[in-house]
Amino acid sequence: MTATLLVNSKLVCVALNDKAQLKALDATFNQAPYNKPPTQPVLYYKPRNTWSVDAAEVEWAKDFDGKDVPTMVVGASLGVVIGKETCRVKPEEALSFVGGYTVVADYSLPEENYYRPDIKGKCLDTSAPVGPSLVAADKIAQPDALSVTIKVNGELKSTFDLSQMQRSVAELISIISNIMTLQAGEVIAVGFAGERVALAKGDKVEAAIAGIGTLNNTLGGI
Amino acid sequence: MRYARILVEGRELDITIDAQDKITTQEGESIDLPLDSDQITWLPPVKEPGTIFALGLNYADHATELNFAPPKEPLVFIKHANTLTGHKQTSYRPDNIEYQHYECELVAVIGKQGKNIKREDALDYVAGYTVCNDFAIRDYLENYYRPNLRVKSRDSLLPMGPWIVDVADVPNANNLRLTTTVNGKITQDGSTKDMIFDVPFLIEYLSKIMTLNPGDMIATGTPHGVADMQPGDTVVCSIESICDLETRIVSEQEYYGKNY
Repeated sequence: MTATLLVNSKLVCVALNDKAQLKALDATFNQAPYNKPPTQPVLYYKPRNTWSVDAAEVEWAKDFDGKDVPTMVVGASLGVVIGKETCRVKPEEALSFVGGYTVVADYSLPEENYYRPDIKGKCLDTSAPVGPSLVAADKIAQPDALSVTIKVNGELKSTFDLSQMQRSVAELISIISNIMTLQAGEVIAVGFAGERVALAKGDKVEAAIAGIGTLNNTLGGI
Repeated sequence: MRYARILVEGRELDITIDAQDKITTQEGESIDLPLDSDQITWLPPVKEPGTIFALGLNYADHATELNFAPPKEPLVFIKHANTLTGHKQTSYRPDNIEYQHYECELVAVIGKQGKNIKREDALDYVAGYTVCNDFAIRDYLENYYRPNLRVKSRDSLLPMGPWIVDVADVPNANNLRLTTTVNGKITQDGSTKDMIFDVPFLIEYLSKIMTLNPGDMIATGTPHGVADMQPGDTVVCSIESICDLETRIVSEQEYYGKNY
C-alpha cells in the first residue's frame, strides 16, 4: 500500500442510522432477539486490518471452507475525522472538535442480523477504504446537509441524504465521546443508507459526497 | 521471561523481568527495585496495541450464570486502546448504574502476522500471555451488536498486565487456576480448562476471517462468579503462572476530573 491511511487508531461506524431503515425494521426489532428498537446509536468497529485507501482493490471474501462468498455489499458514509482530543463533549460544541471530513466505504457480507457483533461480516481485510483526502472542517458548514451516492460500474445505485439520519453528526460525536475519549485522526462513519448495494467480483465502485470527494475502489476475486 | 512497560521517575521503560524478579531495561540497564515498589507505575504491557478481540460467554458455567446457552461459535467483540490501563491503576464506575462487574481473563498477545493459521501452528503466533479485567456495565446492554460498545468500549475498563509471560514458560494454558478477589475476599475461582474455545481454536477462527497482526490481543472470556463493584473497591484478577492484576474502582467524577 503506497497511499497513506487517513485513519489513526480507530474507525467507528454507526449502523441503523437511516430513519427509513429503522421504520422498515420496526416490526422485526419488536420481536426476539431484539425485543425493542435500539435506544442508543448502534456502533461497530472496522479494525485496522480493514483500513484501506482510494484506488485500492477490495479483496473478495472467502467463507470458512476457503471458497469465495456468493455476495458482498457496500455502504458509504461521511467520515468525520476528529481534530483533537474529544472527551464528553456536548452536541452544541461537538462540531468544533472535527478536524475534517472524508468518505468511508464499508464493504462487508450482507447485513443479516444485528444481534451479535458481525465480526465475520465486517472485519474483512481491506474492506474499509477511507479517502480520497481530508477536507478541512471549516469548508463544510453543515455536514448534515450532505448527500452520499454509490455508483457501481458507472450506474447510480444508492443516494442517501444525511438529513435522513436518525441522529446528527453533532449528536453522534457527543454520545460516542461520552463512551470513549476520541483522539485526533480517529474517524466516525456517521451513517449509511439502510439498503446496502450488492456487488459482484471485479465491480468498480464510486462512493461520493459532493464537496468532499469520490472514493474509487475495485472488487477483487477475478 | 516476562515483559512489561513501566514508568520510573518519569522515564518510560520497556523491561524484562527474570525468574529472580530482576528488572532489566531493553538497553541493558538494571533497575534495582522490587516488583511491588511504589516507585513503579505499571503501563499496559503491549507497547503498540492493535485490535483487541474479546470473547463473550466462553465458559459454560458463566453462560449459565447469565441465562445463556453456551455458544456453538465464538461470540467475539472488538475493543480498542482507549479501554486499556495498567496494573495498580484506576477504572471507573459510571454514575447512576446498578451493575458493573469484573471479568478476569487470560489474554493471548499476538506476536507475528498471519492469516489462515492452523490450530496446530497457532502458538507460533503468540508473543505471550497476560491477564486482563474486561469490565462490563450490564445496565447498558442492548440487543444490537451485543455486547455493545457502550458496555464494552469505555475508557479505563480494560486493565491489563502487569506483564506478558513467554509462551514457553506456560506449558499448558488450558489448565490454569483463575481467581478474582474483591477487597481481599475470593469471589471468582475457576480454571482455564473450562474455556469452550481455547487460544489455538480462536487464532484459527479469527485468522480465517482476517489477518492478525503483532500487538493484537485475544481476551478469552471469564468463568462463573461475577459480582458488582463500587468506588473504593479493590479487585485483583489472578491467573496461575501468569500474573496478578490489581485495580481500584473510582467514581466517574474522580476518573474524569476536569473533563467530568
